Order: sequence, then C-alpha cells, then structure tokens
Amino acid sequence: MKVSVVSRSGREVVRGGVELKDSAKVADLQDAIYAKTKKYYPARQRLTLPIQPGKSGKPVVLSAKASLSEYCEKGSGSLTVVFKDLGPQVFYSTLFFFEYLGPLLIYPMFYYLPVYKYFGYEGERVMHPVQTYAMYYWCFHYFKRIMETFFVHRFSHATSPVSNVFRNCAYYWTFGAYIAYYCNHPLYTPVSELQMKIGFGFGILCQIANFYCHILLRNLRSPSGNGGYQIPRGFLFNIVTCANYTTEIYQWLGFNIATQTVAGYIFLVVAASIMTNWALGKHRRLKKLFDGKEGRPKYPRRWVILPPFL
Amino acid sequence: MPEEAAGMASVLRRLYLSVYNWIVFIGWVQVSWSMILALLEKRYEAVYAAVEQHLLFAQTAAIMEILHSIVGLVRSPVSSTLPQITARLFMIWGILRSFPEIHTHIFVTSLLISWCITEVTRYSFNGMKESFGFTPSWLLWLRYSTFIVCFPIGMVSEVGLVYIVVPFMKASEKYCLRMPNKWNFSIKYFYASVFFMALYAPVYPHLFHYLIVQRKKALAKSKTT
Repeated sequence: MKVSVVSRSGREVVRGGVELKDSAKVADLQDAIYAKTKKYYPARQRLTLPIQPGKSGKPVVLSAKASLSEYCEKGSGSLTVVFKDLGPQVFYSTLFFFEYLGPLLIYPMFYYLPVYKYFGYEGERVMHPVQTYAMYYWCFHYFKRIMETFFVHRFSHATSPVSNVFRNCAYYWTFGAYIAYYCNHPLYTPVSELQMKIGFGFGILCQIANFYCHILLRNLRSPSGNGGYQIPRGFLFNIVTCANYTTEIYQWLGFNIATQTVAGYIFLVVAASIMTNWALGKHRRLKKLFDGKEGRPKYPRRWVILPPFL
Repeated sequence: MPEEAAGMASVLRRLYLSVYNWIVFIGWVQVSWSMILALLEKRYEAVYAAVEQHLLFAQTAAIMEILHSIVGLVRSPVSSTLPQITARLFMIWGILRSFPEIHTHIFVTSLLISWCITEVTRYSFNGMKESFGFTPSWLLWLRYSTFIVCFPIGMVSEVGLVYIVVPFMKASEKYCLRMPNKWNFSIKYFYASVFFMALYAPVYPHLFHYLIVQRKKALAKSKTT
C-alpha cells in the first residue's frame, strides 16, 4: 500500500511517500514516518484524512490502533494523509510531577525560612497552630497528587505539549506562593479553633473521598489503555458526573474555611471555574455518547460538578 | 408572531446602539473640543483640568461595550473589548483622577490626543452604521487606520504615566490595605499597578495584531462592494 504524507499546506513531508503492507496499522505508518524524518516521533504526529474540497467540518483523525485499510476508499491501493507536527511532547506523569512539586516545595519555604525579611518584616515570627496544620494539610495534598500521578492515574493521551509544562507550572507555583505568603504571614490572624477544626476536618474527608474517586476512575480504564468512554459508577459518581472535581473543590473549601485568606478563595474560584469547564465538556460528551439508542445505555440524570447549583 | 418579535428586537437593538454611540460620540467631541481650546488658550499643562469631567463620562460609558460583547449585541469578542476598556478605566480613575500631581505632564496630552482621534472616529463610524446602515469610505478608512498611530502613542503614554506616578503612589499609600485583618489579605496599589503594567507586554501585541486582522477584513470587504 502506498501512503502519501503531506502537510496542511500541501508540502510533501515524506519524499516519495511510504510503502506499507496492506494489513499495516496506523502505528506502523507513524513508525515509518519517524524512521524517515528522524525528528517527528509518533507522539508528535497528528495524522488526519484530507478534507474534501468544498466540504467543511472537522477532519478525521487517524487512530493509532486502527488499520490503514479502514481509511482507504473501497478497492483503492493508496492513501493520502495530512501530517501536523504537535511539537515536542512530554509524558503526562512528567507534566503533573513538576506541576505539583512546585507547591510542595514552595509552601514550606514560607513556613520554615525567614523569607518575610525581604518583605520588610524583621524580628521573630510567632506561628499559630493553624498555620502549622495548614502546612501539613497543604503538603499532604500535593504529596497525594504526586503519588496518584505515578501509581493511580491512567492517561488517555500519552503525552502533552511541552508548552503546557510552563503554563501549568506558572499557574500552580504562582498560586502556591501567593497562598503561602498569606497563610504564613507574620501578621496572620487565625480563625477560631472550632472553625479551624471544621475546615480541616471537612477538608480531610474530601481529600480521602477524592482519592477514592480517583481509584474508581482508574478502574474504568484497562491497564493497556484500551476502551473509550464509559459511564462512571459508584460512590459519588452515582450523583455527580465529575465527583473527582467536586471533592477537589470542596477540599479547598475546607482549607479556606480553616485558614481564611482571600488568596485561598481566589484560587478556589479559579480552580472551580477551570474544572467546571472540563466537567461540562465531559458531561456533554457522555450524554451524547450514551443516548439510549441502538442498544447503548442511557446516561443517567446526574449533577455535573457542584450540586445543588450545577 | 415570532418573525414580528424578532423584527422588533432588531429595531430596538439598532435604536439603542444608535443612541448609545451618538451620546458617547458627543462626549468625546466635548473632550476633544475642550482640549483644543485649552491648547490654544493656555498650554498642554492645562489640558487635563479642562477635559476631566467630559473624559470621565465618555470613557466610563464604555463599560457598556463590555456588556454589549457579553450579551451578544455586537460581534466584538469580549477578549478584545475587556482588556482595552479595563486599561482605559484604570488609567482615568486609578491614575489620573487619583494623582493630581501628574495632570500637567505632557504624556496626558499625548494620551488624550490619541484617545480622542480614535474614539471620535470610532463612535461616529458606529453611529452612522447603526443609524443609516452605511458609512462613507473615508470614515471607514479612518476607523480602521488611525489606531496604527494612536495605539502605540496611547500605550507609551499610559506606561509612561504609570512610571511617573510611582513615587507619588508609594508616598501616598492610596488604595492600600494592610494586615493584620480577619481575611488575611493585603494589597499595595504600587504592586498591583506594576503587575497590571506587566500584563501589557503579552496583551497589547495580541490586541494590535487583532486590530490589524480586523483592518484587512474591513478594507478588503469595502473593495469588493
């Protein structure tokens, strides 16, 4: 089988095209492209079918596990694919690790080191118990995330563009420093002991629930990464589509109740907004996929992310 | 019935946008006129005092345009309207209105000149479009060309004024909130302003590029007509 590989502007990416067996899979084509170009490894490649002139709509993305013959015109012995370079890629585990490592290291710096000297606050700083517990809570949270990255999560896409590392790290590290600054400040005003206990207690409960949600999500995906979308079931997923995000938001709420900083609440609002967008997208996809037709199960009625509001 | 309702909504929209654009146009004409008189009679130092009231009205009214974007009354994306209006409001209320020490600086004059040229052109263009459904070609060209000069001048003036105002900002401690307080929050206007100015670096090139793209579309369309 002869496969032509062209860029979106029509330029030939692989001179002379690629010759493959009729039974070849898309993954074989990707390996062949890499062998010829020496630069575009499979994770960097986005292969689509050419858009027919005069037609609109999204191009068909080739799935690595599919056979090339699936995309051929009936009886044709050749195929043209459009190549796009996604740029340098990193594993999601790498991305997540550095995202979470920043807050894990930065927050304790504000707690242990005399950084406030540089902000004009000389002299000894008296730590309140809530500040100590907040530090433990915070570090437990991000440590948990790192552990989940390596031992719990299964990723649908293997890699992410390098540019996301800088964007995501900027987000997590900046907010980490911002919250740390206020939580450990020499002029910090603690809340009452009861409020602290309620906040941290509720927050810990939600962190544990979040962990369990991640276990349930992990079990939806087989180890090989096969299988598309499935309806999550069990625990809070029976009530909320994205129970993992729900518990994530509420655990930050707990933290904020206990520590009471504007910076913390700003982070909560931003994080909740981002996760709400993701949740709405996922909810929409699941409802569309599981519409109860042609033998498919119907997606049950559920909240999206934040009952009783959404 | 639905057609009649849709037609009525369309008429109301055009009527509202016509009135809005002409009112703000008048506001900016007043700013321009006051500025010209001040420049002729006195010197550039007198410009701000002469235009302040008109300027506060005309520029603050532009908040409505963010709402127009959000509601969908106009096609401009919020991502282009919001940063422009926000920067302008910060400049007139946060800087000019708050720090009289810089009213006599020449950057105020250059800022206002660039704003007046842009806004008088834009609001008259929009007003004519909504009221009469057409605009003369010279006005179209002005609408989509004046920013090439005025945008950079305005930006330099804005950054320059913030730079000049910094020592007064520090000395006055205006708009500062200190700890300790129950919500464990503090803010120094100086840092907030510097942060805001730092946002110019990524936002303004993007905005300028967007305006260039708009220009190509608009002028190309007029050629085919």
